[in-house]
Amino acid sequence: MLNVQSITKSYGKKQILNQISFSVQPGEIIGLVGENGAGKSTLLNVLATLANPTSGNIFLYEKSYRDTRKEVRKQIGYVPQDIAIWEEFSVEENMVFFEKLSWKSKTKQELRQLCLDMELDKWKEPVKTLSGGMKRKLNMAISLIHNPDLLLLDEPTVGIDLKSKKEIGNHLKNLAIKENKMIMYTSHDMDEISTLCDRIICIGEDPFYKNLLVEANKQIVTF
Amino acid sequence: MMSIIQTRLMHWKKHWISHLFWFLLPILATVCMIQVTNVVQEDSKIPIGMVVKEETGLANALVETMKASPLLRVYELSESEARSRIESHELDSAFIIEDGYEAKILRGSRNRLLTSYQSNLSFAYTPIREMLISYVQQDTGKAKAAHTIINLQESLQPEATVSFDEIIAKTNEIQAQENLLATTFSFYNDAGVETTDGITIWNTWGLWAIFSILSTLLLSDWLMKERSSGLMPRFTFIRFTYKQYVIQNLAVYLTAFLLFDFLSIAVFNQLLDENINFELIGAIISFRILISTGAFLVALLFKNNYLYYGVSFILVLFLIILSGAILPIDGLTARYPWLLDINPLQPLMDQTFWNPWLVVTTALVSSGSQKERN
Repeated sequence: MLNVQSITKSYGKKQILNQISFSVQPGEIIGLVGENGAGKSTLLNVLATLANPTSGNIFLYEKSYRDTRKEVRKQIGYVPQDIAIWEEFSVEENMVFFEKLSWKSKTKQELRQLCLDMELDKWKEPVKTLSGGMKRKLNMAISLIHNPDLLLLDEPTVGIDLKSKKEIGNHLKNLAIKENKMIMYTSHDMDEISTLCDRIICIGEDPFYKNLLVEANKQIVTF
Repeated sequence: MMSIIQTRLMHWKKHWISHLFWFLLPILATVCMIQVTNVVQEDSKIPIGMVVKEETGLANALVETMKASPLLRVYELSESEARSRIESHELDSAFIIEDGYEAKILRGSRNRLLTSYQSNLSFAYTPIREMLISYVQQDTGKAKAAHTIINLQESLQPEATVSFDEIIAKTNEIQAQENLLATTFSFYNDAGVETTDGITIWNTWGLWAIFSILSTLLLSDWLMKERSSGLMPRFTFIRFTYKQYVIQNLAVYLTAFLLFDFLSIAVFNQLLDENINFELIGAIISFRILISTGAFLVALLFKNNYLYYGVSFILVLFLIILSGAILPIDGLTARYPWLLDINPLQPLMDQTFWNPWLVVTTALVSSGSQKERN
């Protein structure tokens, strides 16, 4: 499980995150909401080891982020908000490229299956010809190559059609239920968050989001 | 490392034409420039006519000497033909070796040996005439010396039987051995001194070095392209750290560059008669490591491709002007000798492995990788 203990994050004098504590159980999907600039992406970056917390501790399956950073990274899958794939490559080449650099080796068949599980069937297609939804799916599939226990997604469904949104949502549910993965993701789409997530963490003081979450009738943690 | 090679090859496969072009640029551009220059140089030789009115050894030798000049294109023709071609300005000037030339030379006479023609457009007549006179004087000088030796022999050692022809033959032998007009001096036990025929405008390895720097800088743009592609967060979740990834890629590029460098050595040896020796190979390896690590460090400083390309071209222009690889900088280095010490191309041109800049760039690259490891 993921255990976050009183983390704070400041940039200079500006405090972005203040004493945030929560835990995530295997198989749980957690939504992160909040107004722009509230610190959602910062929290995700801290959880993804892309930024260090100013204070506080984080443990992933008893492994401390502070002491075993490199080991912890092997268990994290991070899906950046900007699509991070090689535009000049095909879907297959992108998957093979990142598999070669990954901690875990996978056969081409396994990589293809990973894409098919996400309804991404254009294996040989060049990425530049894919739709935004397909690119988002590939962006996510690459992050799953090393079979991480914790999946962190920064607005994974932004700017895509409803069908692709639904397919990504279904896949995330499958990952949580069937593979016991811990999933945390940020989104501004409250419908998506409320249907998909088991719990919601609201960051920031804006009452607008808090009211929406009350309406969603979910377990809410606010910071 | 195998994974890095495989992933790099995936990139190269996508841009194989442009990569092959840039990898081959130093070879192609150097060979082309030198061959084109040779053709232009051949075309710009001054055309002159030589009319030989007697078939003797000295007359023919004079014609052959003139033909051997890298500045002249010599046509052997009749007097009337020479005159008509001068009138039509096809020839700059013409020189007639008169009948009795050899006999007069052997007698030590220098009068009326040659006749010459020029037109109002004969711009090179005077220097060619002086050149020809110097060769004739050389022959008359030899004959005069031979006569003096024979006279001395007759008065001092009448029993000696050294003939005029033997003296001339010995003189020619000594001239060929010593080559007094073009002797290159060297310290005792120094490496062999090379002498070249003709006039060489370009320093082959200097030219190659400039094109190599340009192609290395332009091929190092992968660093910027990959950093600006939004893929940086991915490198946190791969087997390698980003620094390990880029440094291992640098090693892949360095290996590929070295393969093409060895190809350059073979091509230049075949097409341009450049010697192959261990000093040259060592100097090229050292130079290649220097420019690959240097370009890598320069590319790390930039985020914008076009700015980087602009700076690369300016850097190359700067090196063309100040390195002495293409343009001579003897005057500058005579006034500021320290320029030779700080010139990064000098060790290549001197064909030595040791290059102080190599220490700087490799230290910077390896300190970066050490920091990452810690």
